[in-house]
Amino acid sequence: MNESPGAAAPSVAAIGHLDRRWLFEGLGLTIVIIALAVIFSLINPRFASVVNFINILTQSSYYVIIAVGMTFVITNAGIDLSVGSILALVTVIGFELIKEGMHPGLGVLVMFALGGLIGCFTGFLVSYVRIPPFIATLGMMVALRGLALVHSAGNMHYGLPSSVTWFGQGTIVGIPVPVIIAFLFALFGAWLFNHTRFGLHVRAIGGNREAARLAGVPVNRIELMVYALMGLITALGGLIMIARIDSTQATIGTSMEIHVIAAVIIGGTSLFGGRGTIYGTVLGALLLSMMTNALVIAGVDYFWQLVVMGAIVLIAVAIANLRERRVSALAFFPRSWFEGRT
Amino acid sequence: MSESRPVASDALMRVVGLDKSYGGLKAVDSVTFDVHRGEVLALVGDNGAGKSTLVKAIAGAQPPDAGHVEMEGVPVRLHTPRDAEAAGIGCLHQGLGLVDTLDVPENVFLGRELRSRFLGVVPQLDHARMRQRTIELLDRFGIHLPRLNDPVIRLSGGQRQTVAISRLLLQEVRLVIMDEPMASLGVEEGRRVLDLVRNMRERGISVIVISHNLEHVFQLADRIAVMKNGRLLDVVETAATTREAVVRMITFGEAA
Ligand SMILES: Nc1ncnc2c1ncn2[C@@H]1O[C@H](COP(=O)(O)OP(=O)(O)OP(=O)(O)O)[C@@H](O)[C@H]1O
Ligand SMILES: [Mg+2]
Repeated sequence: MNESPGAAAPSVAAIGHLDRRWLFEGLGLTIVIIALAVIFSLINPRFASVVNFINILTQSSYYVIIAVGMTFVITNAGIDLSVGSILALVTVIGFELIKEGMHPGLGVLVMFALGGLIGCFTGFLVSYVRIPPFIATLGMMVALRGLALVHSAGNMHYGLPSSVTWFGQGTIVGIPVPVIIAFLFALFGAWLFNHTRFGLHVRAIGGNREAARLAGVPVNRIELMVYALMGLITALGGLIMIARIDSTQATIGTSMEIHVIAAVIIGGTSLFGGRGTIYGTVLGALLLSMMTNALVIAGVDYFWQLVVMGAIVLIAVAIANLRERRVSALAFFPRSWFEGRT
Repeated sequence: MSESRPVASDALMRVVGLDKSYGGLKAVDSVTFDVHRGEVLALVGDNGAGKSTLVKAIAGAQPPDAGHVEMEGVPVRLHTPRDAEAAGIGCLHQGLGLVDTLDVPENVFLGRELRSRFLGVVPQLDHARMRQRTIELLDRFGIHLPRLNDPVIRLSGGQRQTVAISRLLLQEVRLVIMDEPMASLGVEEGRRVLDLVRNMRERGISVIVISHNLEHVFQLADRIAVMKNGRLLDVVETAATTREAVVRMITFGEAA
């Protein structure tokens, strides 16, 4: 019997195990990504340039970030359809404040505060008012888009100070800043998800809300925090997005939710809650950005891209359902999205 | 070693006038009883008698409509499972209350996670230590699970049950409540649970155990409480009753 649980030995074993699981989960997707990259390159050599790959990574950065947040929401047996609208409202307000002379740092802070507050409110609706997440966030999606339009209908904001655009356009040793931020943020997300009490509680609630409650998990508080986190993260994604394109408008981020949710599902997170993978989400977001990029290079217009995106979501959900052996039509989407919390 | 117990002074917990209704149904109907220090009290009754509802109220899982609980003469607030834990009450709920998608250590430690500090500052889960302690706990049941990091849904019924019971051994408890702990156990595992309950009693822990298996009840219990239609009919000394009398009470509600 060794008294101290030999810090090194078990932890190495545990981490080794985790890594193997991750590797296995991500392996199939990694192969798909590489295979598609090869196919796209063969079809159109323009796809295969280093510039284009960096472009894909940069474009995927805000999707990666927001999809990491969505992984928490979906693992918690919820869904958030309002991310695109949160992004729009937060960015039009932040943009205007900075343009009107507010210190950029303060303006960014306001964006985060606003995103967090909106998320808190959504979480409150889901957790305490007990509106089913699908309905609550659908309502927020419409209402927040309306607010963004009220605030700046038809206005195109542009011209941010370089201290802000750096977040979207700057580079560090040749690597775009948004890519670095997304990478670091994904690492942070994986840590939060797998190695913190908060992450464990999120996974527990999604797996069995009642059991989590009986075990002493503060389920309502955690759920509220998940949506608040989603709002904060959306503000971060929005900041990078507007910094990159140096503009925003009330319609920005339309149908973003479907892109983000698709990335999470393709990554292997269970739609029914309880099981998720940040690593898979990152791969899912990369895959989608790669496909979008290939469609753009192939000259497919934006409306058809939407059709493709929708089809990908449906196929991904169908495959996930088969994987989890829930093939009945009624179980196509999780009931937890449509049920109020008890 | 059954010694005669003077009533009130020996009471660890006292449940007073507990009521709980679901709509028009009185699931628990003004139930009052004592649990003595270091005794095993069996709670028996037909399906739907109200046993689990009573236990949920005591465990802070579902606050009652009326009534209260005293620990050593002091009324305690039991509004959440955490309240119950703070009062030294541990509970194994019917259906185990495991999260299928979490692995074994995560289930065992859910709600009372062990943490270390990442880079010496940020608190994070101490997976290694939870895993180690889980192995030690399971060892006490002679159970070795090869894949602790698999989701518990892949375990057998008996293994799952052992995981759920292990949770009870983590905390400092004065009272343990087990709602059908032997429901899906094999002979060997069942015997270990019986041993565990006896072991708790020897350490002065009181145990309320719900079971439909009267053989186990008579092997284990110091006293037997019988419920029917939400009411507590009677609490009898095991030594002073027979199986037939208990069965009659459960089915016909006749006091012995
Ligand atoms: N959440 C609930 N909502 C409505 N009615 C309930 C609920 N939980 C229990 N009941 C009802 O309360 C009564 C008592 O149920 P309870 O689960 O306490 O019985 P029990 O004695 O534990 O039965 P069993 O031996 O089958 O576990 C039953 O009639 C049951 O249908
Ligand atoms: Mg019961």
